[in-house]
Amino acid sequence: MISRISPIVSLAVRAVTPIALVVAAYALFAGHNQPGGGFAAGLMLGAIIVLRTVAGIQQPRHAPVWLSVGGVVAGIVAIAPMLWGEPLLDQVVVTWDVPILGDVKTGSALLFDLGVVAIVVGLVISLLDGLDAASLGDRGHRPIAADVASIETGSSDGAST
Amino acid sequence: MIWFLLAFHVVVVAALPTVGARIGRRALWLAATPMAATALWSITRLGSSEVITAGFQWVPGLDVAFEFRVDAMASLLSVLVSGIGALVCVYSVGYFSSSAASMGRFAATLVAFSTAMVGLVWADSVWTLFIFWELTSVTSFLLVGFKHSDPVARIAARRALFITAAGGLSLLAGFVLFVDAASTARLSEITPISGSTATAAAILILVAAATKSAQFPFHVWLPGAMAAPTPISAYLHSATMVKAGVILVAVIAPAFQDTDVWKPLGLSFGLATMVWGGIGALRHVDAKLILAWGTVSQLGFLFALLAIGTPKATFAAISVLVAHAVFKAALFMVVGEVDARTGTRNINELSGLRSAMPITFAVAVISGASMAGVPPLLGFPTKEAAIEAAIGLSGTERLVVAGLIIFGSILTVAYTTRLLIGMFAADGPMPDRTVAPRRRAMSAPQVILAAASVAGFVAIGWVTGVVRSAAVTVAPDAEVYSLYRWPGLTDAFITSAVIVAIGLVVGVLLTRRHVASGPVARGAANVDRGIDGTGRLAQRVAGRVQHGSLPLYLATTVIVVCAAAVPFAGEIDTATLYWWDNRVEAVVAVMIVAVALAATQVRSRLGAALVLGAVGFSVAGLFVANGAPDLVLTQLLVETVVVVGFVVGLGRLATKFPSPTRLWVVGRVLIAGAMGTAVAVALAGSAASPTGEAPVRELAETAQTEGGGKNVVNVILTDTRALDTLGEVIVLMVVAVGILTLSTRRNRTDLPVPAGETSAGLALVETGRVEEVPQ
Repeated sequence: MISRISPIVSLAVRAVTPIALVVAAYALFAGHNQPGGGFAAGLMLGAIIVLRTVAGIQQPRHAPVWLSVGGVVAGIVAIAPMLWGEPLLDQVVVTWDVPILGDVKTGSALLFDLGVVAIVVGLVISLLDGLDAASLGDRGHRPIAADVASIETGSSDGAST
Repeated sequence: MIWFLLAFHVVVVAALPTVGARIGRRALWLAATPMAATALWSITRLGSSEVITAGFQWVPGLDVAFEFRVDAMASLLSVLVSGIGALVCVYSVGYFSSSAASMGRFAATLVAFSTAMVGLVWADSVWTLFIFWELTSVTSFLLVGFKHSDPVARIAARRALFITAAGGLSLLAGFVLFVDAASTARLSEITPISGSTATAAAILILVAAATKSAQFPFHVWLPGAMAAPTPISAYLHSATMVKAGVILVAVIAPAFQDTDVWKPLGLSFGLATMVWGGIGALRHVDAKLILAWGTVSQLGFLFALLAIGTPKATFAAISVLVAHAVFKAALFMVVGEVDARTGTRNINELSGLRSAMPITFAVAVISGASMAGVPPLLGFPTKEAAIEAAIGLSGTERLVVAGLIIFGSILTVAYTTRLLIGMFAADGPMPDRTVAPRRRAMSAPQVILAAASVAGFVAIGWVTGVVRSAAVTVAPDAEVYSLYRWPGLTDAFITSAVIVAIGLVVGVLLTRRHVASGPVARGAANVDRGIDGTGRLAQRVAGRVQHGSLPLYLATTVIVVCAAAVPFAGEIDTATLYWWDNRVEAVVAVMIVAVALAATQVRSRLGAALVLGAVGFSVAGLFVANGAPDLVLTQLLVETVVVVGFVVGLGRLATKFPSPTRLWVVGRVLIAGAMGTAVAVALAGSAASPTGEAPVRELAETAQTEGGGKNVVNVILTDTRALDTLGEVIVLMVVAVGILTLSTRRNRTDLPVPAGETSAGLALVETGRVEEVPQ
């Protein structure tokens, strides 16, 4: 309902989304030398997902996917060095010569951060799911008593079948 | 070879559940292969003085190793364990109907048990022994409860697990003390130890062995375990698992000979069990229960012999152990066959099976006679050796030990007679039953075991050699003893003749005395009540502690934090405290306090959420003042998400807080004040005593050289202390999975939701009072 009552909110959230994505990406890459990092980037993405959910643009879905992908990526980056006899979580620093950007220094820490991003996003989505935020976008604020109806019609996430 | 055989077992265990579903009863033949292989290998090594070891360091720092050592003793025991195991598998082929379901599960559990048992007898390190000991408890639980749809079997399995697992804990404690006192974990390197630690270890280990070997008063689980299918009883509760305690006592006894408690405690367990088990066997009418109580009695006999501790008694104990495994397994198989072919095991309902089941009858008579200690069977010379060892003692000891062993032996003869006459003699009430046709797979193993009882007597010299070489591994002086086919008219022989004579008379007299039903198992009922009571108590405690009221949880947390902060109060050094680093901090601090106070006064929930957000943003201002951009960024983002999250969540609640009662306000002020004070005290206290130099410089350097980044904070997060980050990330995942699980459950209306967990419950607990939910 919110989105229908207030097209301004909806439009603003839509307009902000790409900007937030770019800022999040920047935070992720800049994290090594500037303020930022995986946790911050994940929270930025999470914030935009919350806003989009409240505005009814998208539904909080696929939390398990985000969580598992993040967990696997972070886990692999953590364990991989042990295959080469290095200690757990030892990081590899690589310097690439990329056209236009020049020398770019990066490392396995970036991959690890990517895992962190996915996990933070997954956490935010699962929180929204836990608060049953999806129905906010559909129908706006409702008292609890009305909840039962939505469960019975199976509108929340299909798990009721 | 050790690894190969163990791996063979494990592979078969892994394969059986899937393969077994397809090949049905034939899975049992597959199950028999690893056991047969182990038995054959062990037979070739019988009596050999060569020792084979295998093992690896498991936890090098703690000197915990995974070690096996196959000597003469281990070979002898694994012949019994695996040989009888293989025979039981063959027997099961005949015992179960071809349509019996879940044969794969049965066979797999049986082999798993066999693996555990073989590992137990081969173990050299006490830690290895402990692991396999526990595995036998677990697999035995699964086997006793095999008929899991039957509540009797379930309760019996639970009781068996409860008692043996409690013994396992005792064993673990005993081993820890033992290793501490003996400064070795290897059973082969045992030397006598003494002192208070050794005494404690001796008691704990003896109790553990007593639980496993069903010694009085821990024996109550064994008769109940007869709820298992008979092949399992034949295997676990005659030949193998219940022997584990006896074996443990045998191998570890040399360490405790010098402690004061070992012998009296062991003798008390053993003699009490022997007599009580014999009496129990005479009170029951179910043939299988008679055998079960008889087993209890025999285990007590073994326990007592080993506790005596003389080389002669140890030698006798090992020979009795061998003879008992052979005849008791055969007798259980006999009872199983009688049960399978007539449909009852009640000796009051059975009679005259001699003509209907001639082969079974022959096996029963041979094995029963061996149990009673009658020549020309293996049971005779072994019992002879035992009685000789008992009457060879002196003084009061001789009076008590020999007296009770003789009494127990009379009971043994009596219940054997009663069992045999009850089932096979034609004098009783004729059963109005048809006897099903014989199955070869059931007969063959019994015949083999009965033949072994005879062959053991014929080849007494070979048996002596095998038993002796096993006995010397624990009692080097046992070298001189032998088993005799015909000992001459010694005291022991005359004693046994008297025992058999009296026992026969008593047995015949008691046979047809009509007993309506078996005695009530009071001990078992008490154990069950204890287990149920523990469960109920746990439920009540959990109900009290996990009351479901969020304010009370929070209050509990705060009180604990405050208590933890108390020690810091003494550490505070006012000289190290100062007001601020720069003035901006003071301004921000005032702002934080003001906004926080405002948060307590806001009446609408949405407003409170926003003001709380303002507190968070003000704290970010504090970080700005201290020049920590990373913290600022993270703080702002977290606050943003939290505030928006609040807005989402508040949609479910009334817009305004309920008006609080006075007590409620006072309570909250107190709790909040206490928490604030505690944190301030702890911080001030820790600031007063810094330890060493701050690691800032070092971290900044390693960030550049090793992490390759200029942002020290983030390099710490992703490189220097990445393990912490990994741990935090895992916590986040766990939280997320928890939330998902809860929300999935809420959305499934078909699941019963416990009181206090409904979404309405949130509103209910929030203020500790019932809140009107607007309809």
